[in-house]
This record gives sequence, C-alpha cells and structure tokens, in this order.
Amino acid sequence: MATLFPTTVAPRGFVSTDPELAAIDASVRWPVLVCLLSAVHWMVVGTFLLVYASSLMHPQDAFPILGWFVDLSDNFSMFTYGRVYPAAIDCLVYGWASTAGLGLTIWLLARTSRNPAHSPAALMTAVVFWNLGVAIGLTGIFMGDSNGVELLEFPAYASWLLWFAYAVLALWAIATYLCRRAGNDHIAQAWILVALFAFPWLYGAGSTLLDNRLVPAAGGDVAHESWVGSLPGSGVMQGVIDAWYVHGIYTLWLAPLGLALLYYLIPKVSGLSMRYGSYAQVAFWTWIIFAPWTAVHDLVGGPVPAETVSIGLFLSGLIFIPVALIGISLISTAFSAEHTVGHHGGVVFPFLVLSSVAFVVTGACEQILSIRGAADLLRFTMFRECNTLLWIYGFFSFIVFGSMYYIVPRLLDFGWRSAMLVRIHYYTSLYGILLVIAMLGFGGVMQGRQLEYPDVQVTINSVNDVCISYYIAATMCVSLVAVGNGVFAFHLGWMLIDWLRLRVRGNRLAAEILMEPYEGDIPAAKSEEVTA
Amino acid sequence: MNPIPSFRGFFGFIFAIFLFTWLGFVVFPWLEIGHLPPIQDEGSTDIAPWDSSGEAHAGERIYAADGCVYCHTQQVRPESSGADIVRGWGTAKDADGKEVTRRSYPRDYIWQGQTFLGNTRSGADLSNVGERFPDAAKLYSYLYDPYILNGHSSMPEFRFLFVTQKISGQVSQDALVLTPADAPPAGYEVVPTAQARALVAYLLSLKKGYHLKPDEAGIPYVPPSTKS
Repeated sequence: MATLFPTTVAPRGFVSTDPELAAIDASVRWPVLVCLLSAVHWMVVGTFLLVYASSLMHPQDAFPILGWFVDLSDNFSMFTYGRVYPAAIDCLVYGWASTAGLGLTIWLLARTSRNPAHSPAALMTAVVFWNLGVAIGLTGIFMGDSNGVELLEFPAYASWLLWFAYAVLALWAIATYLCRRAGNDHIAQAWILVALFAFPWLYGAGSTLLDNRLVPAAGGDVAHESWVGSLPGSGVMQGVIDAWYVHGIYTLWLAPLGLALLYYLIPKVSGLSMRYGSYAQVAFWTWIIFAPWTAVHDLVGGPVPAETVSIGLFLSGLIFIPVALIGISLISTAFSAEHTVGHHGGVVFPFLVLSSVAFVVTGACEQILSIRGAADLLRFTMFRECNTLLWIYGFFSFIVFGSMYYIVPRLLDFGWRSAMLVRIHYYTSLYGILLVIAMLGFGGVMQGRQLEYPDVQVTINSVNDVCISYYIAATMCVSLVAVGNGVFAFHLGWMLIDWLRLRVRGNRLAAEILMEPYEGDIPAAKSEEVTA
Repeated sequence: MNPIPSFRGFFGFIFAIFLFTWLGFVVFPWLEIGHLPPIQDEGSTDIAPWDSSGEAHAGERIYAADGCVYCHTQQVRPESSGADIVRGWGTAKDADGKEVTRRSYPRDYIWQGQTFLGNTRSGADLSNVGERFPDAAKLYSYLYDPYILNGHSSMPEFRFLFVTQKISGQVSQDALVLTPADAPPAGYEVVPTAQARALVAYLLSLKKGYHLKPDEAGIPYVPPSTKS
C-alpha cells in the first residue's frame, strides 16, 4: 500500500496548463466552493446526528459517557429518535449528497461542455437558497412539522426554497450544456442530464402528492368527496409513492450524479481511456429502465397489487446488467491505471476506486433484495439501513471525496496540507463502511431470521435482544465514519485558512506555509489534454 | 460516439422511460386500489373498515412528527411472506368478540388521512395495537416509561408528551400510575398533554376486527350488490 498515497502532497501547480480549462475553473470557483463547503458542513452535522440516533437504539451501558443522550431524548421532543433519525438522513441526502452533487455538476458541466460559467451570481444565489431550504427543513423536523414520509419530511415551507434553488441551477446547467462548444460530448453529460430531469419529477410528484396538508386529517368523507381524494396520494398509495420516491432519489438522482463524476474523473486522473467504453451507453439506458424498480423492495408482501410486486421484482432483478457493465468498465480501468497514477492522482484515485467498488456492492445488495425470499426476510430489518448507508456513505461520499481532492486544489491553486490526514480519512472511511456492511448487513440477516421465525414463542423483545450487539456495532461503525468525515472537514478548513493567509498576507508567508517540498515536479495537468 | 445525438430525442427517450416507471409503479396500482369504497360487513350492519374519531385523526400528526414510523410498521403480511400472523400482529376481535386473524388489505387504509406502512421493525407492528392495548392508561404509561410494562423494550421514553403538575384538590382522573422510581415528588402528578391524548386515541383506533375477504379487499373490486 506504500504506493497508494504519496508521502507529501504538492502545495502548488494545480491550475490546468490548458488556459481554456483554467478559465473555466476560475469562472465557477465561488459557486462550486460555497456548494462544497456547505455540503461538508451538512455532512458533519448529519453524521453527528446519525451517531446520536444510532446510540439511542441500544442500552447506553455500553457507552456510559453517552448516557446524557438518553436524558435529552426522553425529556425534549426535539431530541427524540423519531425526529433525529429522519433529520440525519435528510441532512445527509439533501444537505450533503445533493449539495455536493449540484456543486460538482456545475463544475463538470462547465468543463465537459467547454463553456465558462455565465452569471455566477445567479448560481451563488441558488446555492444560498438551497442551503437555506435544507436548514429550514431540518429546523421544521426538529420542531415537529415533519410529514413522517420517508425522505420527504421537510415541511412545505422549506420545499419551495429547494424548488427555487433547483430551478435556477437546473436551467443554468441545461443552458450550459446546450451552448457547449460543438463536439464536446461526454457520457458524463448524459448522466447529469438524466439526474437533472429526474429530480423535479421525483420531488414534484412526491412533495405534492404526499404533503400531509393536502390530505385532510379529518379523513373519512372529506378524503373521498373532495378533489384531494382523487389524487393518488391517499390510503395505501402513499406508501407506494413514497417507495418510488425514496428509491428514485438514490437510483435516479444520486447514482447518476456520482457515475457522471466517475466516468469523467477515472480517465482524467489515470490518463487512460475508459475500458469497455462501448458498454457505457447500454449501461446508461438499462440503468434508468431497471434501477427505479428497486422501489418494489419496500412493497413485497404489503397491501399492494400483487402484479406490481411481481413485475417490479422481475425488472429490478435485471439491475445486475447495468451494474455489471458499469462495474467492469470502471473497475478494470481503475486497476489497469494503478501504475500510471502518481503525484496528486495518488490522493484522488483510491477514493475513485473505492467508490466504483461500492457502487457494485450497493448494486449487489439491491440485486439480493430483488429475490422475493430475501426481500421477505430482510425488508423490515437493519439490512435496509445498511443499503441506505451504502448509497450515501459507501458510493456517493467516496466519489465526492475523490472529486474534492481533485477539484478544490484546482479551484484555489493550493494544495492539500497533509498526506497523513488524507491517509487517516481514507482508512477510517474504508473500515467504517466495511464494518457497516458487515454489522448492519449481517445483523439484518440475523434480525430477519428471528423476526420471520415461525414460532409463537419468539417476540419482538427476543428479536431485539439478538439485535442489541449489532446496534452497538452499528454505532461504532458510524462513529468511525464520523471520525473520517471530521478529519476531512478539518483538513479542508486547514487548507482554506492557509490559503486565505497566503492571499491576505502575501508571499512573505509562502515560504512558511509551503515548506513541504514538491514531490517531483510532474506537471499537475499532465493528463488534462488526454480526454474531454 | 456521441451519447446524446439529439437533445430532443434524448429527452424523449428519458421521458418515455420515466413515464413507463410512473405508469407501472404509481398509476396502475392507483387505478386498482386508489378508489376503494367501504363495504358492508357480512352478518352485521357495520361498515368496514371502521372509521375512527376526530381525535384519533389528530393523533396521526403526532405519530408523524415524533417519527413512530421509523421503528413501527402498520402492515401485516400474509403467512406466505413472513411470520407476522404467527406473532399475533394480525389478530383483532370483531363486534361479536370473535377473533379475526388476517393480513392487511388496501381497503384497511381508506379512512386514514395519512398512512404509515413503515419499513423497519425495531418495534412491534402496530396494525392492531388498539386490540393488544385496549386500555388508554396502559398506553400512557408505556409511552412515559416502557420499562414499567416491558423490561426488554428498546423504545425511547416520551416524557415530553406529559406534564408534571401540582395536585390541586383531587388527583386527576388520568394521572399516571407510576413505579416509585418514576413517581413525581409528593403532591405532584403526571398527566398526559393534549398531544399524548391524540396519539393514544390514534393508537387505540388501530384495530382491524372487521371481516375482509381477499376478493373484496383486493382487486378488482366487486360491489356487494352485484354478487349473487
């Protein structure tokens, strides 16, 4: 593993030697940086909330020091598990993953389209509104305005802020794509466009049809006689639409954004062209046809039409086709690039490889749930949370980390401060997510075996007694991930402060800050011209 | 090879694929189960499913806000899919006091303003919790301190749904009977807030003791009058 990371990171020399790319990076610098910084902020908040929520799932005796968490949750409605857990997941999905995804999308579209950003002020406004929406939505959940609908907990007064921000960003993105320099086409653009198109459909349908203000609480006659009752979002259909929404967010919003970055960055950093590149389009179309049907995993055995479940299990069972095609392409390119990546590539590349592997593992989990017997066994267990965390922490976080290690130095022309911190971040995240899979995945199987054991003697209490050790392990895994995330946030902050000091106090400090020697003098932009 | 030969064509395809998913996953089930009317229970004058009180509907909001749905499901799967029936989660008594044990059907949910199917069973299924806990006092004390009734419970305490107040005159009718460890200081009592009352009214309303047969509850719907 000695070659995995360089011992030092280059302090300078990141701006692309291609003046055009340098100009594009400069044009999007502030919106992208603000996006990424706020995303990292939400990541820290969300991860902390998740550790807190997770620690409420088991007796506190294991961690006596956390005993005051329980006092908080018992006595203050704000801190009860049922508010903190959805707040944590929403914070990670909308605050961390989506904000980072949007920021990276701005950068990636401007680059692949060879089109410097116009009106960065509009982008900046949108980013601010998006963050405001997330902040107000989270406050709403803590204050008890949650809808109780998974991933749509944000109250309506927060949703419209997200809507406004999204509309500005998406229109900007599509305009940037349409006004691209002729001939600059990239599969990453297709993935981004499909995500940009999926989000308004998902969020629009989800937030209007499942807003509990539109479904009269009086129920009964009102629900059936008013026009509202004729909307799909009543009765058991609410559960169906929510399943469609939740899995749509993972498979049609986060996954395409992440894959766009992988398809762009792996060839870019390694200097190789994508192996099995001809599969990319087949993988793209099969993914968007089959992947959203994974929603049916939340309906198996439920009070829904049996045909929907059967068709859905069949279609989602074909998800192995795109997963295999994408996985073969990304991972074989990544492995064959091992000897060509050096320099800063040594910081970026491990995260890209990890993200590619995590994508395949996540796809395999979805594939397992497409088997009816497995879904029956696992659907109410912690295996589902394992799947959620794999999407967020396993697949998406790693690609964002890799992208940020690549992009931020190019936006600032300033290097990361410490290879040691990158290494700590890498290994804590890696072992954190491995343990999540091991503990929540295996724990899910054990919990399912207990839950579905056909014996009257088995009660929910005896099931939970079996699960306690897995819940404790889950808290430890998430804490490990939290340490990695914290190290990353600290490193980013350190880098920005040094960068600011350098800007403010001029080159007199340069010698002090840039004391670390350059590792080789390989031009950073060696591989810039190879693709794109 | 250009992945997007034509922007319009690309969006046309994307739109068609999304529409396919939307039609198959949302519109098709909605046509089948989106407009189920209530039916008359066989052998009685009752309407099935039973409707619940206004206070119970208000309790749905508390159930949503405090996130009960993140640990509790409200769906009983058939015996072929799991052990829900064996756990006794599908059992309730009908109007005559006879036990009805069955899975959940779409028609069970038609009166609910908000439906909480749930995806996690860290706690028990609540489809028929009103049957297992017919007594409001027990539910109050369970919410206040689950350990009183269940030493193995992993449920958090919901003390914020209750207030400790000074006893003026007589002890309130619904003051909680607590163990010495939880008991308030002498001269004080613990009473449920309006939120706790609504939540408990909602939980008590969760029982499905009426009869639904698969062909009535499932799809397609055949109105009782057209049956021979």
